Amino acid sequence: MSGSENKDINEVNSKWLDAHYDPVANLYTFSSCVALADLNGDGESKLVVGDLGSGASNMKLKVFKGTSLMTENTLLDLPTGLVAFHMDQNEPRTPAIAVASGPFIYVYKNLRPYFKFTLPPLEVNELEQEVWSQAREDKIDPMSLKEMLEGIRNKAQVPLSVRSLKFLMLEHQDMESFVNMHKQQPIRRQTVITCIGTLKKNMADEDAVSCLVIGTENMEIYVLDPEAFTILSKISLPSTPAFMDVTGQFDVEFRITVACRNGNIYILRRDSKKPKYCIELSSHAVGLVRVNKNIVVGCTQETLHGCTQKGKKLWTTYLPASIVTMGLMDHKSRGFQAVLVGLANSEVHMYRDKNLVNIIKTQDVITSICFGKYGREDGSLIMTTKGGGLIIKILKRTAVFDEKDTTPGPPVAQSVKLNVPKKTKLYVDQTMRERENAVAMHRAFQMDLYRLRLTAARAYVKALESNLTPMSSSASEPLKMNAVVQGLGPSFKLTLNIQNTSVCRPSMNLAISFWYDEKLYSLKTSFFKIPLLVPGLNYPIDTFVECLSDKGISDVIKVFVLQIGRSNPLLTAHINMPVSEGMALC
Amino acid sequence: MGLFDKLAGWLGIKKKEVHVLCLGLDNSGKTTIINKLKPSNAQAQDIVPTIGFSIEKFKTSSLSFTVFDMSGQGRYRNLWEHYYKEGQAIIFVIDSCDKLRMVVAKEELDTLLNHPDIKHRRMPILFFANKMDLRDALSSVKVSQQLCLESIKDKPWHICASDALKGEGLQEGVDWLQGRQIYSILQVLVNIELYFLH
Repeated sequence: MSGSENKDINEVNSKWLDAHYDPVANLYTFSSCVALADLNGDGESKLVVGDLGSGASNMKLKVFKGTSLMTENTLLDLPTGLVAFHMDQNEPRTPAIAVASGPFIYVYKNLRPYFKFTLPPLEVNELEQEVWSQAREDKIDPMSLKEMLEGIRNKAQVPLSVRSLKFLMLEHQDMESFVNMHKQQPIRRQTVITCIGTLKKNMADEDAVSCLVIGTENMEIYVLDPEAFTILSKISLPSTPAFMDVTGQFDVEFRITVACRNGNIYILRRDSKKPKYCIELSSHAVGLVRVNKNIVVGCTQETLHGCTQKGKKLWTTYLPASIVTMGLMDHKSRGFQAVLVGLANSEVHMYRDKNLVNIIKTQDVITSICFGKYGREDGSLIMTTKGGGLIIKILKRTAVFDEKDTTPGPPVAQSVKLNVPKKTKLYVDQTMRERENAVAMHRAFQMDLYRLRLTAARAYVKALESNLTPMSSSASEPLKMNAVVQGLGPSFKLTLNIQNTSVCRPSMNLAISFWYDEKLYSLKTSFFKIPLLVPGLNYPIDTFVECLSDKGISDVIKVFVLQIGRSNPLLTAHINMPVSEGMALC
Repeated sequence: MGLFDKLAGWLGIKKKEVHVLCLGLDNSGKTTIINKLKPSNAQAQDIVPTIGFSIEKFKTSSLSFTVFDMSGQGRYRNLWEHYYKEGQAIIFVIDSCDKLRMVVAKEELDTLLNHPDIKHRRMPILFFANKMDLRDALSSVKVSQQLCLESIKDKPWHICASDALKGEGLQEGVDWLQGRQIYSILQVLVNIELYFLH
């Protein structure tokens, strides 16, 4: 596919309308922290973003309506995930927002803080607890506390608490004050949330009550009750979950797909407390999306894999750049589902199964993708960029995505099978003979080649010796000549271009003589003298040739350049005369 | 309109029927506008999203309008083109507050103008930049800029800022449309006259 056609696909026939682009929207976020929800129950979806700010400050929960910011709430810590979910049956059906951050889930209703869920504390290492209690009673100094903690860290089964780990990182002079500040409080060990999802409780409706599903740093998955926020179910994983997809209903049957930090994907079912299936990836996952019943995983090796929900790999696609983010495009009113992949080369590729169906070029690298109903428009694509920009595109009503692959690749004609004839007996015999007598054949060929070369060399030398060439090789009179025949016949104009190729010696006493068949041709003058030839200049000499035959035959006219007083010609040219067409026509 | 009224009366074309298509995105206020143009005793109290389309009739001083009030929802927009042939004029309603979907309105308008049933006809198009009462509404000039209305060269068009809830700006638009219709009728008459003269 040529470049112009590519451009055509991207710009002229674009499937998207550019609704809004704000390069300085100041939104720094990832796909896991973006959601679309009808927060006010007025039929207009708002964009809810957990803004990471600078990473240390300015963390905000922002809500956009149309092109403008509607509200913002300050977040205390970095958000790791954000979901909109219905937590009760109250009318009007407005969803709540859950923001996962650190060990907490902050639940907002009507954009007001409503509830804070804290992960249950983990068991604390007994030795560690004892060491700290000694420190509280001032039995040990900070240095020995450090040594003992290091000892515990290296051996113990239960890892140290955050406080001890922070303490071990400190410089010597800061230790004392740290111990004095913290020694009175009991030690707590808490894990943090790495990913969050929602799971319908017992109904499959769009606005049914949903449970929150959270993955934690200590390799566990919790399912929380939507109203009481108690832990309904707890599943252990072999590694820390990084990306999660949940489908089904908690009370009926559900399936949780988790991409973990050990490079494996685990699929959990309702009835099993252990992962049911495991997909081992060749590299780490950077995104996970479920399309219908298949799982699409983006990997660090610039690949996209498709798997069934039982862990069987279906296809692999290679991408032109590394994946930054992934999102699902689910256009419900058209029943169209695809995977959107944000790449590091500022493009968003849309894959339907393994086929690339659309490419969106963006102004900056996309860090988050969200497709859904925004405002009143069903097919809205919301993207935020690395530089904090916000891009909103709307799918055209008339846009149709071809089933076929738009990847530039070999043309279709290349894969058409040629009608190669069957091998004949002769062909097979010849092949056999060639195989058996390869050495003899090669030798015979080489000998003939040498003979040919020798004959050619001999002929060349002979031509040089007898000055049969149109280039004079003698040192005294270096000359060059070429001849041009003009006309259709029976009269031809013969132009000889003679040039003296020496650097500074003029040529003198030269003459030209023609040799030809007198029955066929007649020349006005068949011998004339050449004036002095100044080096480097081109001397055209014209003469006229009359063809006498009307049989449509032609002959060679030989031109000799002679030096007066020498019998050998300086150079010779053979002019192949054209057939006289004038005669032939008459 | 006094002069036109009299003229129309003399020429015997009073209350000529005109078919008008009312188009625009969903939630732009098409039904509300049409409702407001009807006589006050026939007006509906509650306006609900139109499904498919509805036919409304109202009369002005000299013309009788039959309006095809099309649904603006995405899934019904493909119905529009089936009524282009019958329409003699178009009312295109725009939600001036919905900046995000201005591109969608433009796209639908462009599709409309390039449709074979519309492209070569000199149909008058009346634009209502609706919802002017809302605080962050774009002005009618801004709306016409966003929709590139100045590029419509072969059709008479007019844009009115309107507030369909109060009925502001609607009469101005309808007067323009009526003037256009009478103008075109007069043109036909003049042509007939010229024909007989020759």
